Amino acid sequence: MRGKVAVIGVGMIRFGELFEQSLENMIQEAYLSCLNNIDKGLDPKEIKAAWFGQWSGGFIGQGAQSGQSLATYVGLLGIPVTRLENACPTGGDTFRHACLGVASGAYDIVLALGAEKMRDKPSAESLGGAGGGGGSETGNHPAWMMGQGGPAIQAMHATRQMYELGYTMEDFARVAVKNHHNGTFCPYAHYRFEVTIEQVLNSYTVCWPLHLLDCCPQTDGAAAAIVCRADLAKNFTDKPVYVLGSNIGTDHSQLWDRKSFVEQLSTVRAAKGAFEMAGIQPKDVDFAELHDCFTNTELMNIEDVGFARKGEAARMLKDGEFDMHGRLPVNPSGGLKAHGHPIAATGLGQVYEVVTQLREEADKRQVKLKNGIGVQHNVGGPAFGVSAFTILSRSP
Amino acid sequence: MAGIIGYGVYIPRYRLEQKEAAIPWGSWSPGEKAVCGADEDVVTMAAEAADNAIQHASMDPTKIDAIYIGTASSPYIEQYIAPILAESLGLAPEATMIDYSGSLNAVAMALLGCLDAIAAKRIKTGIVIGAENRATAPGADGDASFGAGAMAMVIGTAGTIADIEGVHTYSTLFLDRWRATKDSWVSNWNDYRFDREHGYQKHIVEACNGLFQKVGKKATDYDCVVFAQPDDRLPNLPAKSLGIPRDKLAPAIASTLGDLGSCSAFLSLAGVLDNAKPGQTILMASYGSGGSNAFSFATHERIQRKKKRLVPIEQYIARKQYMTYTSYLRVREHVTRAPY
Amino acid sequence: MTQPAPASPVFWRFNAEVFRLIGIRCRKCGHISYPRTKICHECGSLDLQEYQLSRTGTIHTFCINWAPPPNFEPPIIPVAVDLDGGGRYLGIMTEASTPEEVKVGAKVEMVLRKMITDRGLNVYGYKFRLVEDQQ
Repeated sequence: MRGKVAVIGVGMIRFGELFEQSLENMIQEAYLSCLNNIDKGLDPKEIKAAWFGQWSGGFIGQGAQSGQSLATYVGLLGIPVTRLENACPTGGDTFRHACLGVASGAYDIVLALGAEKMRDKPSAESLGGAGGGGGSETGNHPAWMMGQGGPAIQAMHATRQMYELGYTMEDFARVAVKNHHNGTFCPYAHYRFEVTIEQVLNSYTVCWPLHLLDCCPQTDGAAAAIVCRADLAKNFTDKPVYVLGSNIGTDHSQLWDRKSFVEQLSTVRAAKGAFEMAGIQPKDVDFAELHDCFTNTELMNIEDVGFARKGEAARMLKDGEFDMHGRLPVNPSGGLKAHGHPIAATGLGQVYEVVTQLREEADKRQVKLKNGIGVQHNVGGPAFGVSAFTILSRSP
Repeated sequence: MAGIIGYGVYIPRYRLEQKEAAIPWGSWSPGEKAVCGADEDVVTMAAEAADNAIQHASMDPTKIDAIYIGTASSPYIEQYIAPILAESLGLAPEATMIDYSGSLNAVAMALLGCLDAIAAKRIKTGIVIGAENRATAPGADGDASFGAGAMAMVIGTAGTIADIEGVHTYSTLFLDRWRATKDSWVSNWNDYRFDREHGYQKHIVEACNGLFQKVGKKATDYDCVVFAQPDDRLPNLPAKSLGIPRDKLAPAIASTLGDLGSCSAFLSLAGVLDNAKPGQTILMASYGSGGSNAFSFATHERIQRKKKRLVPIEQYIARKQYMTYTSYLRVREHVTRAPY
Repeated sequence: MTQPAPASPVFWRFNAEVFRLIGIRCRKCGHISYPRTKICHECGSLDLQEYQLSRTGTIHTFCINWAPPPNFEPPIIPVAVDLDGGGRYLGIMTEASTPEEVKVGAKVEMVLRKMITDRGLNVYGYKFRLVEDQQ
């Protein structure tokens, strides 16, 4: 993939509790924002294919979604559109497919868009829906994983991180403090207020050892990217961003088949494969948008991706290495914690952030660039067995 | 001769002081009782009692030919619970699976059914399980006194610890306690004197007398006597009629575990067997819905040898955690959350 | 997500796994899992045999869920248990509710319990109970 694909535009809407906006509204605004982002302009008719990330489908009540929905809403009837769902990595994987569409030579310019409407149901209901820990039927049996959604599964990891690695609830809370702080600088973030460690630890215990403020919110949102052949990119923008690698890693879909609860092999595999595709190493990366659905997950992700040895991330966080102006900024956008997690849009929202940072257009939250390389990461699914990892660079 | 090869019990850990459920409705009940937790019922209790019985009997459960379950508190009117237990024990589809329900005499009838099948040589070994968790409503009969528990016995002819020398039943149409299909609680005629004399006492005495003739024994020949225990003192009545001294009666359990319904006599029997020695005789009589079954047991050598595989009822009685009346109301679904 | 009814084939298919804890063991890599399957989830081998899971084990990890789905009264405590003899079982605790009682490394045993009731039918399965004597 390296050398073949470039991002020419990214767009998104403010993530949040957007009660007045329908799925169609959000999709249209994200799409238009993306078109406007292309500085030399693009005739939409040049978009020859699209991938539509949409996780919840009929579950939360917005009706079943297939490719036709996207084609209709953005006025691109006639082009091939595929709806894609791959759990929490839906957004990252939607972007990956768009890149594959171009890298394969089949299309020159394609659209990747992800949108999620979660707040049409009370948050307790959509929270429960986000995953059982067993694939298909086993996830439905009350004797096994029924009802063990995201928070319970990550909390089980947190317990083990505390037992095996000596991490504390304070270590986890520190992630929320960092990400909320970063979120105050991002105009698109769901939450734009600071929190302290005390506030996190005093918030309601959702799933011991995780508190309410350790958990990302239920969010509505949409984000998009337009991707084209690397050699054509400069026709549309002076600041293309190049895709060095985009990968999916998989691991067990039944939580009881997994060996370790302090490491997620799906992330390990996704990152390793992407770094091989790109021909670079973790130490070459300037900053990262990692999937902090829960605070303890961010620490695990940092280690799984290769930015720290297992058991080291908490100390490094405490030393400020992952702060916005630290050695390796993690989640300058505020992460899922403060920026929000509209599931199918999340990965594409991260792409938006990485591209914006690499173009040095991130304003008050601009991180320092050395090699001009940033990454996005998602992980999710029953047993958190699927992960997306993409590496982007300002040079080809 | 058929008898008990091994037995086991189960008592839930939760307790309620009986007065907690009586006083709000203007009545009184002494002592405390065992109560099912929110995730327990007759099926789950039967499962643990059966596991204990099989362990005591050193039995391969797949070799059991039949499962007889007795209860007056099945969760279903149409759907046997025996197959659920059979599934968890691994019984073959050819095994007899049958529920005896609808009476406080159900467990005794289940035992009778098992013995008949063995005598007819249709089966070799069966497991008889009793479990009780009777339906109540605030202020209704038994809300304060009904307890929960289960008892299981592996019955057969080989390797017994106590033989069943004989059985006699005595039944008439007598209405003292009942629950109609449309009712979600048990009702009671509430004439204590009438019911205990012409119901409980009369049927037990007749069943025992009939048994004595069959096995050639007298009431005073028995080392220990076990009668169903709706309350601590009722057994004294038939004991007096039969000339049985009080010190031969099994210890009181109604004020510790509650009125255990169809399992009552059997859980008392388990307690007696826990402490029994070889060469002892035990008289047991159940009572329910105008019926009483009297059984004559004789223990022998093996009862001593198998003691180390036994989980005694005392162990379950000692394991306890008190519930408040509000928790009890929720667990028994007397109060439920608004649907929306 | 609509919960399949207890009478559904979804539950019936798993009777042997749920009630009698029959799983599989891979002869090639040793991985133990359930429900029974034809291809080892860990290594892809077809050389599998039926395996009887144990009913006792120690807690590998757990959490205390105060926001469970409908049908479950909080808190529920999901546990990942290292079963004696091998294999890991994901279940929930019964008769325990605090992090003081439920600890990584605690000994537990399976007991049959009523899981949920739907349309008047009960779904039964094993939950874990702390073993009384933790020696």
